Amino acid sequence: MTRPDAYSGPAIELIEVAKHYGKTTVLDGVNLTVAPGEFIALLGPSGCGKSTLLKLIAGLDELTSGEIHIAGRLANYLKPAQRDVAMVFQNYALYPHMTVAENLGFPLKMSGIDRDIVRGKVETAANLLQLGAQLDRFPDELSGGQRQRVALGRAIVREPYVFLMDEPLSNLDALLRVEMRAELVRLHKRVGRTTIYVTHDQVEAMTMANRIVLMKSGVIQQVGTPAELYATPANVFVATFVGSPPMNLFTGRIENGVFRGPIEAAVPSGLKPGLVTLGIRPEHVEIRNGGLPAVIDVVERVGPDSFLRARTAEGAALTVRVDGATRAKEGDRIDVRFPLEHLRLFDDAGNRIATVEES
Amino acid sequence: MAEAIGLNAEQHARLRLRRRRWKEFGRHVVLGLVAFILVAPFYYVLLASLKDSTEIFSYPPKLLPIPPYFGNYRDLLWDTGFLRWMFNTLFVATSVTVLKVFLDSMAGYALAKIDFTGKRIVFLLMLILLMVPIGALIVPLWSLVSSFGLINTYLALILPPLANPLGAILMRQFILGLPRDLENAARLDGLSEFAIYWRIVLPLIKPGLVVLAVIIFTDQFMSFTWPLIATTSDELQVLTVGIAALRAHGGANYGLWSASAVMSLVPIGIFFFVLQRQFLARSLAGALKQ
Repeated sequence: MTRPDAYSGPAIELIEVAKHYGKTTVLDGVNLTVAPGEFIALLGPSGCGKSTLLKLIAGLDELTSGEIHIAGRLANYLKPAQRDVAMVFQNYALYPHMTVAENLGFPLKMSGIDRDIVRGKVETAANLLQLGAQLDRFPDELSGGQRQRVALGRAIVREPYVFLMDEPLSNLDALLRVEMRAELVRLHKRVGRTTIYVTHDQVEAMTMANRIVLMKSGVIQQVGTPAELYATPANVFVATFVGSPPMNLFTGRIENGVFRGPIEAAVPSGLKPGLVTLGIRPEHVEIRNGGLPAVIDVVERVGPDSFLRARTAEGAALTVRVDGATRAKEGDRIDVRFPLEHLRLFDDAGNRIATVEES
Repeated sequence: MAEAIGLNAEQHARLRLRRRRWKEFGRHVVLGLVAFILVAPFYYVLLASLKDSTEIFSYPPKLLPIPPYFGNYRDLLWDTGFLRWMFNTLFVATSVTVLKVFLDSMAGYALAKIDFTGKRIVFLLMLILLMVPIGALIVPLWSLVSSFGLINTYLALILPPLANPLGAILMRQFILGLPRDLENAARLDGLSEFAIYWRIVLPLIKPGLVVLAVIIFTDQFMSFTWPLIATTSDELQVLTVGIAALRAHGGANYGLWSASAVMSLVPIGIFFFVLQRQFLARSLAGALKQ
């Protein structure tokens, strides 16, 4: 397939993409522009439509309406193989009756490439992924990590315009996952191809992606860099989904420039009175004398940090991040304060209200 | 309990060992009995085929055919149409098996993996067809085949069994078990629907194909009613029909019958022996993370 080398527009453009199965809406009005070379993470809870979106881009499923452009071409009616994309599946989907070498070379063989060239490319990919010694083995003779790398290699040998990855690390054990995460990032830097990576693991998305597309119920909630999503979540869902433990949220009313709810806090000026949700990250809650009194329920020690789960007199639960060496214990009383610049406010529909003081 | 009757640990262990030995012995006796019940008739037939007609009924019966008498086999091979029947049977059974395994696996693939209008109804009709006994089909089948002018041809023996839906249903179940991502990967690799079936699905359901081939082949090898009705000429007689006819022609020749039974087992035995190792085809393990 010829690739339009002169093309300099977006790698992928999704315009009002929708997918329905009968009466169920899986994706609704998805718009997204991906720049060439970008690493995009599609993040969201299971059932949010992220895998479906990936399948639509790959051409493995038909979209109900909308347009998908890949490298500037309308791809709606192109077959999967014509889209110049390669996909890494969650469960690897290696051909069990073929050796590693055959698995790696199969897509090239199918496109009628000369046998010697195929062998060369397979060897290059195998070396890149440290699979040189496994070329004659069958998938059932490989470890989980090796199978994972074969799946990756099968995508790499095709040198596709776009890599699509569907939770490729979710079947690995924790240690290997962290290792492969770094390997994937290195690989992306080296190969430099546009990558769309589906995951439900926010840590994966935050650590690997240039930009994150956070989805819920088939609708994009926010698109932005990991830092943007963390610092300025577009709505209450993003605020709770990104960050662990999630942002503290309190619902209440704005009255005369003060937030009144389970806690009371001064809020940025110029807010209209009404129902709002106030949010603050656990690391931004300050423990200082003269603040709001609260009692510690649980102390979670995770090493460098500790999280204090506390409760105010009114019964509002909140989490405070403190130093890992804290001597605080259950039952202790603390005074907490909420610095104005770290407060995030959401209207009664859950959408963020931008304020001048926030940083 | 052991302490109560004053046994020490060693005696107790010895008692347990003895009990286990008895249990083992009992198990072997039962298994031996079952094996005897299963093997005895075959042995009896083999024995009878190697005796002449007077010896078969002599009392007490000889348990070893010494010296063996090969007259029954000679009569069977030279005086009856046995070789012709064998050829017909093998030709029909092999044709049906090859065609049917191919058609059934394709139909199974379509039923399992392709969305088409009326799929549910087609599948339902196939299931219903399974419940219709052969007796109910014989007359309409005969009139159908004869109206095509196929009575007394090989096609009359080969075509009707192809319509049996069991194989396609079996293949559908096998193919349903294959992960969808494998086809998706193949689709991304540029394979057509037929190529996915041929290059990915077929190699992976090999054990299923072998099972199906065995079922079809033995079924055809032993089928009697339809060949009896669909053919009248001696040229087209199959083994089952031919052997049954021996009775009519040759009277109560037990030795000859036994020899024909033994001889007709030979191809089936070879068939099983050859396919046996195919059962051990590379399994799905390794395709996916378990």
